[in-house]
Amino acid sequence: MRLGQLAAVALVAGALLPTAGCDPGARAEIYVQRFFGECGALYGRETDVAKAEGECGIVTAMINRFAARNPDLQVDTNVVAWPGYAQLAAQIAAGDPPDLVTMHQSVISDYQSRGLLEPMDAILREAEVRPEDFTVAARRGVTKHGAIYGLPWDTVGGLYHVNTALFARAGLMRAGKPVLPRSAEELLAHARRFKAATGKPYLVQSQVNDPATHVRNFYTYLLAQDAPIFPDRDHIRLRTPEARRVVALFRTIDREGLTTRNQDYPAAVASFMNGEGGVFLTGTWMLGPFEQESRTPGRALFGAYAVYPYPRLWGHEAAYVDGHAWVMPKRERTPAQRQALARLLRFMAAHNFDWSRTGHLPAFQPVVESAAFAALPHRRDIAPLARIGFAPCPMPRSVLSFLPLFSGP
Amino acid sequence: MLGAMLMAAPLVWTLLLSLKANSELMRDSGTAFSAPYTLENYRAVLQGSSAFRWLLNSLIVSTGTMIGVLILCSLAGYGFARLEFPFRRTLFVFVLLGLAIPEQAVILPRHQLFAALHLHNSYPGLILPGLAGPFGVFFMTQYFRAIPRELDEAAMLDGASRLRIFWKVLLPLTLPAQATLGVFTFLAAWNDYWWPLISATRSERFTLTVGLASAQMNYAQTSGLGFLMAQAVFASLPILIVYLLFQKQIVRAIAGTSGR
Repeated sequence: MRLGQLAAVALVAGALLPTAGCDPGARAEIYVQRFFGECGALYGRETDVAKAEGECGIVTAMINRFAARNPDLQVDTNVVAWPGYAQLAAQIAAGDPPDLVTMHQSVISDYQSRGLLEPMDAILREAEVRPEDFTVAARRGVTKHGAIYGLPWDTVGGLYHVNTALFARAGLMRAGKPVLPRSAEELLAHARRFKAATGKPYLVQSQVNDPATHVRNFYTYLLAQDAPIFPDRDHIRLRTPEARRVVALFRTIDREGLTTRNQDYPAAVASFMNGEGGVFLTGTWMLGPFEQESRTPGRALFGAYAVYPYPRLWGHEAAYVDGHAWVMPKRERTPAQRQALARLLRFMAAHNFDWSRTGHLPAFQPVVESAAFAALPHRRDIAPLARIGFAPCPMPRSVLSFLPLFSGP
Repeated sequence: MLGAMLMAAPLVWTLLLSLKANSELMRDSGTAFSAPYTLENYRAVLQGSSAFRWLLNSLIVSTGTMIGVLILCSLAGYGFARLEFPFRRTLFVFVLLGLAIPEQAVILPRHQLFAALHLHNSYPGLILPGLAGPFGVFFMTQYFRAIPRELDEAAMLDGASRLRIFWKVLLPLTLPAQATLGVFTFLAAWNDYWWPLISATRSERFTLTVGLASAQMNYAQTSGLGFLMAQAVFASLPILIVYLLFQKQIVRAIAGTSGR
């Protein structure tokens, strides 16, 4: 082939190449990035969401199902190391962020305030997802300056996981339900009574290497007392009488040996599972494993497990919560990609009940009120979290360095 | 003997944990010392992710980095040790200053530079930063300096060029140093987590460290301890094999270097 012919071929090829992406038959490609781990061995080809278990299994099956039902779309999924913000920041800096990405609601402010996220009001309208259907906690979590910056997917918060067998031995059961304290003084009285009756600590806490636990306890009871935690976006206010009250309570609990001590998170989980304490202060994500234990004969929690939001000790009912959301980093997208994303968002919203099987609270009020949700174990008891849950805003600029405050899987 | 047992204990512990069911370990990690054992965690590692793809990526990146470092550091070391050129000492001090600058200090401009060059999510993007090795330059310079100059002079009398002297006379004498530097570089590249984490953001370019981390759920140390340990065993196997295959050379290299 002569040089002239080569040049002609190259010219034709060059002219054709740019049009390759405009082929009306080409599938719109969307790039979804998430954490929650990788579980392809179990659910790599599963499209029946009802058959999947756990966060990883359910989200994998959901995306598989969406891809199977939408063969005209190309859905590329990228699973990143939890929580994925180092990679997301790097992708944004490199100008190549994903189309849709999982983000904790407490982190949204940090990205939104830098103009890195797209407001999603319009695309949610296109997806026929009504923000009015979000729970109070979920809507608070994704709304910044009047605009919505994410599709909320759940509410994650701290709970009182209770060993009812030990509570019964301490005489702290009434009508088949554990008696939870209604004040700080009552909590101490219960804890002392519990320890005297069972010889075990009332509380199980992961005190080592787990600042998230302390933050959950502290913020929850500050919120209950209406104590302003962040007076503005650059400061935190903790030298208050309300804060001293909370700290004094937990110091008393620790001093009197009413809690487990020097345990990290795995040790605390094992302690509670083996019946070494009455109440484990941890999050919604442990509901599933503890419920499984309560259904297994021979285990310490067999038939002896209940779970509730933190009881009101001061002020009013409140819970410091967070949640997972799907957000859209700012980037150029074709109309076809936007349409594809709207379809995916609609699908995710429609399957919010499936996600609630993880133990997290649904982000949609109709799901919270549904019979199917109420039929799941303990969900009726923890449902108030969707109403009383609150994340203090604005978060400080350095919120990323405090992650994970809520480190649920 | 006691020392060996102390060194081996965490490895045995890791192996035993990797052979236990996650649910069992969640209640009590002490069950690692008793049956039943299972290979379920290894099945999850191998089937559940792109583990072999990540393994290949790690091999390419680690081998590429090692080869690049050996070539560049040998040439630079020879230059600093044997050649006379303007600002040689100043330049050498300048290279050594690199030892005092942590990676964290340059990560942002480096990331931006690689983004501008569209090198993220590529093998060059993962290999190139590892080639700037002031330690390797210093190490090879010292090694070349320790070789008697009479060897160069004898070769020059025989009419050998600089390149020929480097290639045929001096380089073979630095093989123990090359082996040491190669092993250290390979291990550092194999274990590197941070740069691959932010440069390789697409699964098909993850190295093993990043890929295995992405496969974990949060609180893996609680609800997936066995899986976590199986990942650790899987990730360390290639290194272990390399060590077993080249044990003599590695030991001789390190012993030889320390004796100089």
